[in-house]
Amino acid sequence: MDKDTAIKIVDLYKNFGSQNVLNGINLEIKHGEITVIIGKSGGGKSVLMKHLISLLKPDMGEIWIDGVDITKLKERELNEVRKKFGMLFQEAALFDSMNVIDNVAFPLREHTKLPEKEIIRLAEEKLKNVGLSGFGYKMPSELSGGMKKRVGLARALINDPDIILFDEPTSALDPIISLTILDLIKETQERFKKTYVIISHDILGMFRIAHKVAMLYNGKIIEYGTPENVKKSENEEVKEFLKATGIPGFVGGVL
Amino acid sequence: MINLFSLDRIYHPATSVLRQLGGMALMFFSSIFYAFRRPWKLNYIFKQMEFIGVKSLGVVLITGTFTGMVLAIQTYYGFRKFGAEGLVGATVALSMTRELGPVLTSLMVTGRAGSAIAAELGTMRVTEQIDALIVMALNPIKYLVTPRVIASFFMLPVLTIISDFVGIVGGWLVGVKLLGINEGAFINKMIKYVDLEDIYDGLIKSACFGIILSVVACYKGFYTAGGAEGVGRSTTESVVIASVSILVADYILTSLMF
Amino acid sequence: MKINRLSPELKVGIVVLIGFIILFYMSFKISKFGILSEKGYELQVYLENANGIDPKSPVLIAGVEIGRVKKVKLDNFKALVTLIIKEGVQIPSDSTIAIKTQGVLGDKYLEIIPGNDKKILAKGEMIKNVKAAPDFDEMFSEVSTAAKKFGNTIGEFQGLLGDKEKTSIKKSIENIQTITVEFKDIIKENKQSINSMITNADDTLKGLKKIVNDVEAGKGSLGMLVKDDRLYMDAKETMGALKSISKDIEEGKGLLGKLVKDDSLYNDAKDTVKNLKDLTDGIKKGDGTLGKLAKDESLYIETEKAMKKLQKGADGLSEMTPISILGTIFSFIF
Ligand SMILES: Nc1ncnc2c1ncn2[C@@H]1O[C@H](COP(=O)(O)OP(=O)(O)OP(=O)(O)O)[C@@H](O)[C@H]1O
Ligand SMILES: [Mg+2]
Repeated sequence: MDKDTAIKIVDLYKNFGSQNVLNGINLEIKHGEITVIIGKSGGGKSVLMKHLISLLKPDMGEIWIDGVDITKLKERELNEVRKKFGMLFQEAALFDSMNVIDNVAFPLREHTKLPEKEIIRLAEEKLKNVGLSGFGYKMPSELSGGMKKRVGLARALINDPDIILFDEPTSALDPIISLTILDLIKETQERFKKTYVIISHDILGMFRIAHKVAMLYNGKIIEYGTPENVKKSENEEVKEFLKATGIPGFVGGVL
Repeated sequence: MINLFSLDRIYHPATSVLRQLGGMALMFFSSIFYAFRRPWKLNYIFKQMEFIGVKSLGVVLITGTFTGMVLAIQTYYGFRKFGAEGLVGATVALSMTRELGPVLTSLMVTGRAGSAIAAELGTMRVTEQIDALIVMALNPIKYLVTPRVIASFFMLPVLTIISDFVGIVGGWLVGVKLLGINEGAFINKMIKYVDLEDIYDGLIKSACFGIILSVVACYKGFYTAGGAEGVGRSTTESVVIASVSILVADYILTSLMF
Repeated sequence: MKINRLSPELKVGIVVLIGFIILFYMSFKISKFGILSEKGYELQVYLENANGIDPKSPVLIAGVEIGRVKKVKLDNFKALVTLIIKEGVQIPSDSTIAIKTQGVLGDKYLEIIPGNDKKILAKGEMIKNVKAAPDFDEMFSEVSTAAKKFGNTIGEFQGLLGDKEKTSIKKSIENIQTITVEFKDIIKENKQSINSMITNADDTLKGLKKIVNDVEAGKGSLGMLVKDDRLYMDAKETMGALKSISKDIEEGKGLLGKLVKDDSLYNDAKDTVKNLKDLTDGIKKGDGTLGKLAKDESLYIETEKAMKKLQKGADGLSEMTPISILGTIFSFIF
């Protein structure tokens, strides 16, 4: 396996009952890059992402992370691998029983021996980054969907993991905050050079920050490359998908 | 010969019951297993002890007191026919310590805390909070199930002894103060007929019931599927299954003990 | 935010503390009066039937709880019961133990009837005297068989009594009636002498009392006899012999046995009835003799003896073997 490759997916299949969701995925994700996965709703992007962290087990296929096939690992070994990951869930998945600051601080409390003061300071800093300073002592149930999303983002970033998976980080956000979040993601990535995998429908925004774009269609990766290359893709499905965005400069888009 | 693998794929009520029984047993053993592994989550256990124990106190006090009072009235009118009113105290105390204290307390806690556990874990499941724990390389059994099982195991006996006591006090109030049973006979017969083992066996039973109700509730919540509706279903099922299991276990434990 | 709230640890701690206080209080209340928690020593006793005696069954003396049963186990087809007796309670070695029943619930307990021995039972020793508890089931069945047999005997008598006998019995009864009337007259006539008879009886009683005292003190031959082990042995032998005799009777062996089983009984009984008639006739004739008899001291003693016999018979009823009932019945008839 290539030294640059952080994640390598080989012939991944997953069925739910009779529904074929993943149908032979092959994909390599490079170290220190932002890879954006696009595809239609219900196409299996979230399912694919959950396989990367072994929340779901494939019916068939291999997932290599830093040279280890995680589909063959036991739960304890998996936990060692998972410690390298951070993940933002599509629905944020904040812990209802904890307030915002405890949610953000949770990974630090569980995996580091930092003093409590330092943990709180870091958590508050991350909250400030996502524009939520002052909301630390609210409960998740008292937040809006977009606020939850940002808290989830802060939690995913708090202990600087090697690989971070974002499931639609900018959905449910207004355009201005959406931009702030995009900037935050880009900024942190450039600063720490970590591997980011992002699922998003925000084509315009993501194409601005992505190093690579992958398109999932019918359970397969039908296009993979730099944003520029994908924009000019000759693939019919990619063309149609991007055309729908109606953004100037995209294939089929309004000129 | 039956192929066990094909048996596992048959979704028949019988195999489903077996699967659930096995699943609960596994959940219990792994929760115990993780209880002995560092890091110990003492603050989690205390939080659950507060939720399961302290917050159930009110309902346990009320049910315990009224059960004792009702027992006193009922047995009084029965025993009066034989001129054995003096035995009311002993009957109330024995019923409370051996049976009603442990069983009613456990049923009340099942209704109050068991349902809440199932609903909470169910919600955590359908909103991917359990997945979030897994992603953070944290074992959800250790974080969610172990504290609840341990807390129930320790708090149920505490609630039960309190229930025993207020039940006896309730019986005393009704029997001695209201119905005018001779207080000396009431107390002395009680002391004579109640043994330490009656109390201790009741507490052991309630600890077992605590394990049953917490494991059932955790299992049902943990394996919830189907969104908010699924959470509701898990909650109902956990209360029904835990209550029935407690009564069955009560029979078994009682026949083993006495 | 967090300032005004108790921590979960503190709340749980308070509740657990309350629980412990209640537990200790209740345990203390119960065990304070419980025997088992106190210091005590063990005694043992063999019971023929320990039905209803369980560990923790109380042991009483004069209605006061002085111990509890510790365990009951089978030993050589008898129940070996271990008791725990409170420290400081001394039990004479010749004490008797009995199973008794108490209360509406029919709880069984053990009652110790203290003996007079100076020797005190020490730890681990055996209480030898056990008062056989009448087993109600057994007793009832025995009484019913006895009653049946009695019924049979009566029936046999009835069959035996012809018209002639019946009239004579009737006559006898009539005779007895007249005797009673006459006896009344006699008493009237002899009021003074009866008074003196009572005085005499009083003296006799006093004498008896003295004898009893002497016996108790071990004075005189009777006293010696009572204290003498040999007497006990003799009595035991006699009892054994009696037992085998009664067994023989049941099997129809020996004279008495034959009597019970034999037809000739009927004939003898017939004669007896005839004799009875003759006797009453005689009594009727001997007016003066009865008066004389009434004055006689020996009559009193005889009467008392008879009474004692009767009492023994009644006691025997509680021993309740069918044979002894039969024996008692016969002793009444003859
Ligand atoms: N746990 C599950 N059980 C059964 N089917 C599932 C499960 N999870 C996902 N699916 C199915 O897999 C398909 C893909 O779901 P997935 O969540 O990956 O879609 P997605 O690409 O993330 O869509 P979106 O962009 O709307 O989030 C869906 O059709 C869904 O019905
Ligand atoms: Mg999705």
